[in-house]
Amino acid sequence: MKFIVASLLFLSSMLGNVFAEEVNVFTSRHYESDNELYKKFTEQTGIKVNVISGEDGALQKRIKEEGKDSKADLYITADAGKLGAFEAEGLFQTGASSNLIKSVVPEQLRTEYWVSIAKRARVIFYDPARTTPDPNLSYEDLSHPEFKGKIVIRQSNSVYNQSLVASLIENDGLEKTKIWVKEFVKNFARPAKGNDRSQILAVAAGEADYAIANTYYIALMLSGKKGSEQKVAARKVKILFPNQKGRGTHMNISGAGILKHASNKDNAIKLLEFLVTPEAQKHIVNNTFEYPIIDGVEPSPLISQFGLDFKQDLETNVSTFAKRQAEALRIMTEAGWN
Amino acid sequence: MSLIRNINPWFIASLFISLIVAIPLITVFGSFFNSTSEYYQLLRETYLMTYVSNSLLILIGVMSLTFCLGVFAAYFVSFYDFPGVNFFKWALVLSFAVPAYIYAYSLTAFFENYGSLHGLLSFLFGEQNYNPYIPKFDGLAGAILSMSFSLFGYVYVLTRASFYHQSHNLIEVSKNLGYSARESFLKIILPSARPAIVAGLALVAMECLADFGTVSFFGISTLTTGIYNSWISFDDLNTANQLSFILLIFIFVLFFVENHSRGDAKYHQPSRGFRQIPRIELTKNKGRLVSLFLSILFFLSFLFPFLQMSYWTIKFPKYFEQIDILALNLNTLILVILASIALIGFSFLINFGNRISKSKLLDQLSLFSISGYAMPGIILAIAFMTFISWTSEALETFGIFGIKSVFIGSVLGLIFAYFIRFYSLAFNGIKSSYLKINQSIDESSYLLGYTKFRTFRKIHIPQLKDSIVLIGILIAIEIIKELPMTLILRPFNFDTFATKAHAYASQDLLQGAALPSLFLILWGGLLIFLTSKHILSEK
Repeated sequence: MKFIVASLLFLSSMLGNVFAEEVNVFTSRHYESDNELYKKFTEQTGIKVNVISGEDGALQKRIKEEGKDSKADLYITADAGKLGAFEAEGLFQTGASSNLIKSVVPEQLRTEYWVSIAKRARVIFYDPARTTPDPNLSYEDLSHPEFKGKIVIRQSNSVYNQSLVASLIENDGLEKTKIWVKEFVKNFARPAKGNDRSQILAVAAGEADYAIANTYYIALMLSGKKGSEQKVAARKVKILFPNQKGRGTHMNISGAGILKHASNKDNAIKLLEFLVTPEAQKHIVNNTFEYPIIDGVEPSPLISQFGLDFKQDLETNVSTFAKRQAEALRIMTEAGWN
Repeated sequence: MSLIRNINPWFIASLFISLIVAIPLITVFGSFFNSTSEYYQLLRETYLMTYVSNSLLILIGVMSLTFCLGVFAAYFVSFYDFPGVNFFKWALVLSFAVPAYIYAYSLTAFFENYGSLHGLLSFLFGEQNYNPYIPKFDGLAGAILSMSFSLFGYVYVLTRASFYHQSHNLIEVSKNLGYSARESFLKIILPSARPAIVAGLALVAMECLADFGTVSFFGISTLTTGIYNSWISFDDLNTANQLSFILLIFIFVLFFVENHSRGDAKYHQPSRGFRQIPRIELTKNKGRLVSLFLSILFFLSFLFPFLQMSYWTIKFPKYFEQIDILALNLNTLILVILASIALIGFSFLINFGNRISKSKLLDQLSLFSISGYAMPGIILAIAFMTFISWTSEALETFGIFGIKSVFIGSVLGLIFAYFIRFYSLAFNGIKSSYLKINQSIDESSYLLGYTKFRTFRKIHIPQLKDSIVLIGILIAIEIIKELPMTLILRPFNFDTFATKAHAYASQDLLQGAALPSLFLILWGGLLIFLTSKHILSEK
């Protein structure tokens, strides 16, 4: 008798789990702060958020192999090219851009298949004590011989670099960018290595004059989360927003799409809509130090101190990154960008 | 005829396990026949050489370093008496508790611009820009150092065991020949330990090729990351296949060398009881020098990463709130217990079957068991998913239910993958202990009217108890450190120390990675401490 009761209880708890409102997220954004954000969502809606984090490629492979049995509803990542690749593989379904989302997220930053949830700017860092760069500097200028041996940037296998070069191809054409990459590589102060933060540190330490990196890394250092030494180092450098006279600074995104075999599509849309509310956007900008995707939310003070009125390149549609990334990678490796 | 005679339940069980363990190998070979696009042809041509040369550079670097560190350390603690010899003997084994990727985190944290070393120098000598004088261990150099310090233990342990069991005769012989210490080391001691050293180096090399966490942290493209990227990101099976093929050749050579050397090593075991030679006491200065060398080695291989992680854990206490450390402990414990039961249980079953059926064919079949260990975890996990997907779809076409959700993204699937990866560890461990129980003991037991099962229960199990505990602990250490398979195959909301540390490292917050890394090192260290006598094969 006891056994039967116990099994019934067990069974009902299992069923309870099956029928509970939930949404399953695969994410390559490893931020702990994202988990806190999901908790807020659960508190407000009662919808439980289940998470698996991992590397993009591996998650994509898993979703593909799981096929229609996949429990994943939402895929979140930190590069437009990655989202585009998912779209091209047919792993997303339409519907991510609900009416609410369409009303707040600019058109260039979403497709039918995925939506941006935050923006990231790839900028130039310099040490004002040693260098006074032309404020109108563009990415294109960095191939000039005057920068020889002065630039640090991470490897060509970084998607951030692939998307940057993809945007150059999109704007300047393949042939011109090919020549640009060849000349640009000659200006490296050291072989490409390390993450974005280590490029900024190289400028702070005097190893190089210019570093190309995403803005949120300097905010991370300034926040003290990396210790006082790093804070000191970060205070030495300034940000230059490139291409202010032209199309504006290269912007990449964090974004999300609903997976083809999602069984909780409605909940996934609810989570997406939540992520672009002012409340969630504030949480994102103050924890990951990205730029907000909606109007009316200010970036973290650690970021806004570098200037808010700079021109962002929102003309170049981020969905073109995916199409150009392969070409970008090819010309980068051809040019000897390790 | 002999094949048919061989078919009995034991044979079928053995065949079944061998096939399961060979799943990744079969899947990788199976993929060789898939079609592919030509889109990434140029990429392939540019990268192929980089992949191969990086892997070779890492192999050569790590094997040279582990050889020097492992052999010298083993030599000193085996033959000489100096201050702290009994401490160093087991303390050097603690390096097993630090996986190469955590070593890499520590190395970066300490030596980067404005890193821990810069902080230390500023604290001691005042604020100044010390960065230009601080050596940077990133990229290839960082990867080679990280792997060398976390892997030299293999060479150390195996070489020391070989010295330990033959030290008496060796020193005697070299004395009789009138050799100096250096001559006897080069001409007698080193050659006699060759099989053990080679076996240790082969294990080191396999671990190097399998590494994913360290090289991806430093952004180095190797054969393993190359296969991973072309298989996954580019969907370029052609490249994946070419690279897999090269990798498999590497692995088969290593596997052959290791197996062969293990075989040779056996002949050097003393047949009669041996007595350990009293160690030669070093002069005061020489003794200090040796102590210093081993202290530095112990410091670099264990204390350095341990202290760096402890420092951050204390300095950034907010991660105690952010990380659910109890859940990490429980998850790791569940995985360790289930995997150990499965691995030890099946290893026993198959070993027992091989023993009572005395079949040569079964012995050879068991050779397959190594293939899981030789395959990099990341490739194994991908192959595992691909295989489950194939099987599931095949089952569904026959109208049977699919099995994907049972094996992908479940604890069961993780255990299955661990089983494939670590089966050779368990199987060969139990096999070598089994070989020590003479067959005649079984026969006597049958004469006394014991059944086979009773012989197993009353005679084998008690004799093998010690080695079961040891193997269980070795499995535990491996699973605690395992990263790539757990990362891909785990269920929702499921973290281990390794995946949590990786998540923080990926968002460039090594400070947050410190707490789970510290726990990982502590658990590994504790388990090693408990079994150091076994690991050093003094028991």
